[in-house]
Amino acid sequence: MEDSLVKRTRRRLSLIIVLGLLLLIGLFVVSLSVGSYPMTPTEALQAFWNAVNLRGDTSQMTLDEKVVWIVRFPRFLAAMGVGIGLAVAGVVMQAVIRNPLVDPYITGVSSGAALGAACAVLLGVAIGTAGVYSLPIMAFIGAILAFTITLGLAESAGGKPVAFVLAGVIVGIFLSSITNLLMITSPSQGVQGVLHWLFGSLANTTLQEDAIILFVVGLLTIIVLIYARELNVILLGDDQANQLGVNVRFLKRGMLILTSLLTGVCVAFTGVIGFVGLIVPHMTRMVVGGDHRLLLPASIVVGANFLVACDIIGRLIGGAEEFPVGIITSLIGAPFFAYLLIRKGRDYVS
Amino acid sequence: MSPEAPVTIKVEGVSFSYRDKETLSDINFEAKAGEFIGLIGPNGSGKTTLMRCINGLLRPSKGTIYMDGRSTSGMKIKDIAMICANVPADCSDDFSLTVQELVFLGRYPHVNSMWWESRQDETVVAEAIKKFRLEGLINRRLNELSSGEKARALLAKAVVQQPKILLADEPSAHLDLRYQLEVMETLWELSRQGVTVLTASHDMNLTSKFCDRVVMLNGGRTVATGRPVDVITAERIREVYGVEVSVFRDGDEVFSVPRRSIR
Repeated sequence: MEDSLVKRTRRRLSLIIVLGLLLLIGLFVVSLSVGSYPMTPTEALQAFWNAVNLRGDTSQMTLDEKVVWIVRFPRFLAAMGVGIGLAVAGVVMQAVIRNPLVDPYITGVSSGAALGAACAVLLGVAIGTAGVYSLPIMAFIGAILAFTITLGLAESAGGKPVAFVLAGVIVGIFLSSITNLLMITSPSQGVQGVLHWLFGSLANTTLQEDAIILFVVGLLTIIVLIYARELNVILLGDDQANQLGVNVRFLKRGMLILTSLLTGVCVAFTGVIGFVGLIVPHMTRMVVGGDHRLLLPASIVVGANFLVACDIIGRLIGGAEEFPVGIITSLIGAPFFAYLLIRKGRDYVS
Repeated sequence: MSPEAPVTIKVEGVSFSYRDKETLSDINFEAKAGEFIGLIGPNGSGKTTLMRCINGLLRPSKGTIYMDGRSTSGMKIKDIAMICANVPADCSDDFSLTVQELVFLGRYPHVNSMWWESRQDETVVAEAIKKFRLEGLINRRLNELSSGEKARALLAKAVVQQPKILLADEPSAHLDLRYQLEVMETLWELSRQGVTVLTASHDMNLTSKFCDRVVMLNGGRTVATGRPVDVITAERIREVYGVEVSVFRDGDEVFSVPRRSIR
């Protein structure tokens, strides 16, 4: 007699989490050591430990400790949080829209955020006392506004998944045009800043920002995890899910709002990091299958590791003028995805 | 089915309007545990609307549906799903669900814990997988199945809901002859085990072969209710479908062969 499915699934879940954590710990050490100021892993860990014992008091830190504490540790946390956020948002978006080509930016969130960021940088729109947070706040407002317009358009067009995709695409194009207009009419210095943000970068994140990212991503991810079984049921199609007692309309709208908040927060602090939200859910689904009780935790693990790894690679090959992580995710992600598609595509795509 | 079998479903004066257009008007019938009922009628006659009123997806604008003696108007869809299961003609398969995962989803209304199914859920699923000869297929993904295998998996998914009432809307619509028969035979067996089965189908011959009673709908109204041999007559089919047919009786079974449409 074969083991029960539930037992087997739970065992696979534990295995995924343990392996993922081990890998993440490894990447954590590498992430602290690698950069234009290299250290051995032991030095990096020692410096990190000292910095923790100083409770982050930078005035008493050595150079090693400062590099690790002010530059590298915040990047690691940001990569982890954003990787998790985009992966979870991608899994949910693909299930809700029922289209495997969809990513978390499909609702126009990234274009809205870009416009918000451009307004902050180029027009100098500042939010009262927000200071350094002006850009992320403006980007977040832009993201949520874009999503609200998309939601409104799609709902008045009947609320079908395709209506969402179409509404998101046109909202995205419209907002991008305004951003482009702003950029060509502005002096080039500011444009550089916006471009850098558009490519997505984990450099210059602070621990304070990480705390916000991790808190929001953590909270929203927990809510999504609670609804894992409902997400499984909606894979059967709206009609059957309704018949089984899932309030599909409520669930879908709620999930879209959650994913937009999730994506909005990630985008606001680190810019548009592409591909993670599209590719991580697919890679994970190919390996663990469609059950969200496995797929969501596995995507969390893969998303965190993937983005941390991409950030490390960007620092390694870029040297002092490091490559934005958004470019690395696509450069590494696309070939790897192609490989998986060839190996497992026959089972995966009907 | 014994004559004193309890009534599991009672449709009482049910009407349904969609944008001022009445698509169901004053439908009345009841079905007992173990009865196999066939809904027949042309496209747009209200078969699917009636089924959707029964499973709670649509609320009747007039009248009441009683399930197991309770009015469904106060019941949540999840509560209805514990009594009444649906067998769809097809389901989407583009998200890599396995056969076993699909069958487990049928337990959704019954699972109380937040995430995991209980031992009892697993036993029910294991039994259904055996009953529908799916043991060798449990780890196959839905998109790898033949349509006959998929039909069996969908039946298993409905059966693990442990329903008293089973609704099957065009259960055999795109199956070949053998699988059509297989599905109808399975539904018939389930009805003999005490489940009330309600199917909607365009295939009058299969319906009359397996159903104890048929309800013929036209334009949202009941045209006739009764044994297949009494309801399916050449005159009625001409009137309702606008088609000339020859009807043959063979004991309790009745077969109609279409001849030509009337213009």
